[in-house]
Amino acid sequence: MNQQHFLQAQTRRHFFERCGVGLGKIGLASAIAGGLPNLARGVVNNPLAPRDTHFAPKAKRVIFLFMAGGPSQLELFDNKPKLRELDGKPIPPSVIAGQRYAFIQPDAAVMAPRFGFSRHGQSGAELSDRLPHLGSIADEISIVKSMTTDFFNHAPAQIFQNCGYPLPGRPAMGSWTSYGIGSEADDLPSFVVLKSGGNLSGGAAMWSSGFLPGSHAGVPFRESGDPILHVSNPSGYDDKAQRDSLDLMRKMNERELGVMGDPEIQTRIDAYEMAWRMQGAAPELMDFASESPATLEMYGAKPGDGKASFANNCLLARRLVERGSRFVQLYHSGWDHHSQVEKGVTAQARAVDQPAAALVKDLKARGLLEDTLVIWGGEFGRTPMVEASAALGRSMGRDHHPQAFTMWMAGGGIKPGVTIGATDELGFNVVEDPVHVHDLHATILHLLGLDHERLTFRYQGRDFRLTDVHGHIVKKLLA
Amino acid sequence: MRISSFLSVILAIMLVGPTFAADEVSFARDIRPLLSDRCFKCHGFDEETKEADLGLHNFDEATRDLGGYHAILPGNPDASEVIARLIAEDPDDVMPPPAANKPRFSDEEVELMRRWIDQGAKYETHWAFEKPKMPEVPPGDAEHPIDRFLDARLEASDLEVNERADPYTLIRRLSIDLRGYPPSAEETVDFVASFEKNASETWTGWVERFLASPAYGERWARDWLDLARYADTNGYEKDRPRSIWPYRDWVINALNEDMPYDQFTIEQLAGDMLPDPTTSQLVATGFHRNTMLNEEGGIDPLEFRYHAMVDRVATTGTVWMGLTTGCAQCHTHKFDPITHTDYFAMMALLNNADELEIPVPTEELTRRRSDLQSRIDQLEKEALAKIDEGAYAKWKKLQEREIANWIPLEPTSMKSNLPLLQKQDDLSIYASGDFTKRDVYDIVFDASVVPEGESVTAIRIEALPDERLPAGGPGAAYYEGRKGDFFLSEVQVKADGKPVRFGNASVSFGKISVGSGKAVGMNIYDGNGSTGWSTSTQEGKRNELVLNLEQPIQLGKQIDMRLLFERHFVAALGRFRISVTTDRGSVVADNSEIPNPRVASDEEMKLAYIRNASEFESTQKAVAELEKQMPAYPTTLVFQERPPENPRPTHRHHRGEYLSTRERVEPAVPLVFDPIPDEESHDRLGFAKWLVSERNPLAARVAVNRAWRAFFGTGILKTSGDFGYQSELPSHPELLDWLAVTFVENGWSMKELHRLIVTSEAYRRDSRISSLQREEDPDNRLLARGPRFRMTGEMLRDSALQAAGLLSPKMGGPGVYPPQPESVAAMAYGRNTWPTSKGEDRYRRSLYTFTKRTAPFAAYLTFDGPTGESCLPRRDRSNTPLQALTLMNDPMFSEAAESLARSIGEPGESSPEAIVSDLFLRILTRQPTEQEKADFLSYFEAQKNRIEAGDLSAAEIVSADGEPISPATAAWKMVARVLMNLNETVTKG
Repeated sequence: MNQQHFLQAQTRRHFFERCGVGLGKIGLASAIAGGLPNLARGVVNNPLAPRDTHFAPKAKRVIFLFMAGGPSQLELFDNKPKLRELDGKPIPPSVIAGQRYAFIQPDAAVMAPRFGFSRHGQSGAELSDRLPHLGSIADEISIVKSMTTDFFNHAPAQIFQNCGYPLPGRPAMGSWTSYGIGSEADDLPSFVVLKSGGNLSGGAAMWSSGFLPGSHAGVPFRESGDPILHVSNPSGYDDKAQRDSLDLMRKMNERELGVMGDPEIQTRIDAYEMAWRMQGAAPELMDFASESPATLEMYGAKPGDGKASFANNCLLARRLVERGSRFVQLYHSGWDHHSQVEKGVTAQARAVDQPAAALVKDLKARGLLEDTLVIWGGEFGRTPMVEASAALGRSMGRDHHPQAFTMWMAGGGIKPGVTIGATDELGFNVVEDPVHVHDLHATILHLLGLDHERLTFRYQGRDFRLTDVHGHIVKKLLA
Repeated sequence: MRISSFLSVILAIMLVGPTFAADEVSFARDIRPLLSDRCFKCHGFDEETKEADLGLHNFDEATRDLGGYHAILPGNPDASEVIARLIAEDPDDVMPPPAANKPRFSDEEVELMRRWIDQGAKYETHWAFEKPKMPEVPPGDAEHPIDRFLDARLEASDLEVNERADPYTLIRRLSIDLRGYPPSAEETVDFVASFEKNASETWTGWVERFLASPAYGERWARDWLDLARYADTNGYEKDRPRSIWPYRDWVINALNEDMPYDQFTIEQLAGDMLPDPTTSQLVATGFHRNTMLNEEGGIDPLEFRYHAMVDRVATTGTVWMGLTTGCAQCHTHKFDPITHTDYFAMMALLNNADELEIPVPTEELTRRRSDLQSRIDQLEKEALAKIDEGAYAKWKKLQEREIANWIPLEPTSMKSNLPLLQKQDDLSIYASGDFTKRDVYDIVFDASVVPEGESVTAIRIEALPDERLPAGGPGAAYYEGRKGDFFLSEVQVKADGKPVRFGNASVSFGKISVGSGKAVGMNIYDGNGSTGWSTSTQEGKRNELVLNLEQPIQLGKQIDMRLLFERHFVAALGRFRISVTTDRGSVVADNSEIPNPRVASDEEMKLAYIRNASEFESTQKAVAELEKQMPAYPTTLVFQERPPENPRPTHRHHRGEYLSTRERVEPAVPLVFDPIPDEESHDRLGFAKWLVSERNPLAARVAVNRAWRAFFGTGILKTSGDFGYQSELPSHPELLDWLAVTFVENGWSMKELHRLIVTSEAYRRDSRISSLQREEDPDNRLLARGPRFRMTGEMLRDSALQAAGLLSPKMGGPGVYPPQPESVAAMAYGRNTWPTSKGEDRYRRSLYTFTKRTAPFAAYLTFDGPTGESCLPRRDRSNTPLQALTLMNDPMFSEAAESLARSIGEPGESSPEAIVSDLFLRILTRQPTEQEKADFLSYFEAQKNRIEAGDLSAAEIVSADGEPISPATAAWKMVARVLMNLNETVTKG
């Protein structure tokens, strides 16, 4: 037995050992609870228990590859030859009048797209030469060139794209999903957040459960130390010491339950058992030893290599959904190209294109794509106009552009191989099939079997929705 | 659906209890909840969405003649169109219409409607909008009025009422509620011994003792800070630190001093508007400065100021009115009688303040500063005495040659896109109010001060410090860049209408922050707005830019000057002065502090002499050394009402959108309430006073309900932040009013309110739950049993530190950094580190933990702690595996367990049985049973054996740091850790 197989077997045995203990104990708990009427409620009340959807779902889980910063649609998806023609000339005042921008002034000039475009697959999807890997799965994905949003600064736009509201305090889409359909995992979090690249403007508000119960909050995996906070035993404890301790806690808690009759105690006993199972499952999850070299190569994943972290996260996302997580949110920052958009897009596309395409291929190969929704996109697009500033030392960049941007989706009930929506000849405004962020949310929930108008939570006297009072399902995207 | 609706009606009747006769239909109890939920959306307050021009929200509208028929005809249900529509089969006729997505009225509900109409269709004011009246205390055996109210309901139920809890439970409960952590072992022993002798006196004695403890203010401040959305950072993307902890300390002090709640309210909302406000009253206005500040580059600052205003309205509504005003931001409230205009009228009350950062002098710092200043004064006095008049005269002559003769110009007209420009005594201009990313100043100067016939050779722009500006100016920048920064993009000058051309320019200092550009003088006339002049890093200091004219010119009568400030953040000058000179030759910018020798007094010149001349170098060095030692005062964020000459207008925003401003709205409270009386001002102060006047029926009710929830787990009204039409009915409406009226009669004393609650019998009941109680009253609304729920994360940490003897009693001051994994801070924007505190600060009470909005302290957040991003009227009490991981494995808790183990002493000093008992007493506030003792001893032995056998390492379990650790100490740490993880430990039971 070689080293890798040995480790794998070890891990697996360790894993089942934990499960064994956990399950056995759960049986015991139920037996004890049986003596106390209604106490099984503690178990039934598990807020993460799977819940019935409003109608049959197409997608059972979501992987959202969030491209933070605002990728330039003009350099990646939305080919605008007219911009080459007008390169260096000011944008017509009739187009820009009344628009607010983050950095540029209204007299900014048009800048030609930096890259060439070509068509791919039977669908003939048009993509820039920076996305060769995506080209290879062009017939699996659906491209939306007509996304629009309401916000032109990163934090509000990112929070809006995740929570349907531009300010912190509302539940994230992943929390709504967890609230709406519950979890399939009993040893891992249901809503997981992974991060790569640079700074993330929207921050923790994007995986907050807002006013939903705290158990629906996204669990950010940490970049150093324990991936899940405190998932390792304390210093000096082996698994037996941890289990011995848990057994004594459990005995005490069960005794208290018998005396006090408080169902909350049962919930706590269950929470500690799940914590124990997470302690067992997390190392196995994070260990890529069972992945074949071909898989690692396909993603470009290199365990332990920070530079490959988006690739590693894509692979980790697949492992998470395989193990029952419902919503995996990958944030990749680095798309905010106020200066030198050509260089910036080239670098980010190199980091992102291959792993994202690999994820779709891998999910398909494993039969997971049909009920896993994959989404790729950022908080807004970038201006057809150039950004340059002496004070900031910027040139040949593009500013934030909420009026039009591009996203793509795959799997989970999405119609493959279509491109929907169109922008005007300058790529400034959407002219065909506009898809607002609220519409995207309505569509995602629809694919998950949830009616966005019925998935509500009453807080402060009002029934809140992810889509507020907006949102239309984008029928053209449905398979 | 039908069954559950029916049940809810029955439940409503049950909950309201025997005071209402069952056969009389109550509008408030039975009808309004139905109408509000299913009808008001289209037939309610909002004129814009009203269908068929019919409103069912008031009697007059609902009963008016609709042309031969009536929606509601009092006394005649059969002739009331409403009934016909409720039971209609045709989807075109039935109400609510299928498209409304609302449940149909059940047979029982239709019957209720019929009976209500039959009985006259009486409308009543929503109970919460009627002023609370002192109800009669029900008769009964109980002594305490609270118990009488509760007993009246309990007697009508079939629930058995629990006995009083044992003394251990009682002292633990009281200590947690009044101080935020359990009693020490010594306190417990004292209390129990005394309680067994004289229960009643002991109880009141310990209540007083805890109410008087400084820990009381700290415990209750945390609840208030949840409402105040307090945090130590600005929020949003960058989330940089801010200094507003003096506000947090103000809250703690106010609570410890039992400041009456009305005063507590007025000072926080409008302390700056009180006559001659004290620093403390200014600090109190930090309440509404706890809103977030978006520092992301490129934002529209006024858009986020608007969002902060929205937050202020919502928070004020929640805290003092129990109203969810948020809905009315976008449209007239569908369910509550708050119109869209009402909402912005409330905003107008709060919307006229400037937002300042002020120093907060402390006695100690003031003393140190004045000591240093007198030493400086003494040094300079000595130097002045030593002046050699001859040398001085020579020096002065030299200055006359070297220093340009600048003639300040007097502004005669000052206009801008938005900021208010005001002339100061020294002819400088001060800008205040709101700023944007692109500010333009147009100023006209009187040029007649230049001697007739002389030609001007240069113009000088002085950027001047001013303590009213951020960081002392000279700029108005307050976010994204450096505070007090400015960026002068372009300057245009016209003399009598003719453009003036510049030949060259120089600056006394030039540096740009946020960006790498050069801040040279010629940037301001190169026609490029993205180049400019800035004196970044010189905040609080004077600098100048000198423009030499291409050719000397005669200015004529007036000079028109335009200054453009254009950056991706606010960067206007806040104070500046324009001067000209007729000196020959090229003039160069100069940042010396020497005044113009031609006009300065001898005294001024002599001071300049000793401060600048090389003869006095040793004095200058000594003074500089002392100035370096001068300690700065801490600062805090406050409101300051705007001056009458610069009021900020408030407009209605269509759909609540920032950009969609509509008509101007005058300040007022919502029309459904009694207005602010004429003799009071219709402004923030008038509003604050109104909120705690008898005109507002809600302030006291909301406050007592909040307190009730803190003690008992659920408010008398369950929806703590919402007393509106959509809220559930209170479980004990009369008790709520009795508490509210009593609270006001007791001078709004919060300590008196808390005293009242904890001396009730209901508070002291055993919290074990019988099957019947669990089935019939799972949420313990009737309080047949004592309160029982999980403590907050902050309390859990404080409790662990207290049990371990680590908790520091030090109060107040800047936020501290208890240990947590580096990866928590690293998740946030920017290169964040967590500078873990050392020494005592590591063990301060949890409310002193530095609160970063985008990366809150992980352990608190895991236990549903707030992010400080918005007002939190009630925390969730979730029960999750991540909480288990935190309590089991977080080194912070491990440290407490270790400290406990080490405090036990050397093996052999006490028997293991005694140690187990001691640990139980310290952590669980009780003695172990024999069985428990045996269980823990067997666990202890098992772990000790494993350590001794080498399976586990004592040095790894206890952070040994080289010293020898006995297997027993390590095993005791493991025991303490188990105890700290028990459900009982984390529960106030």
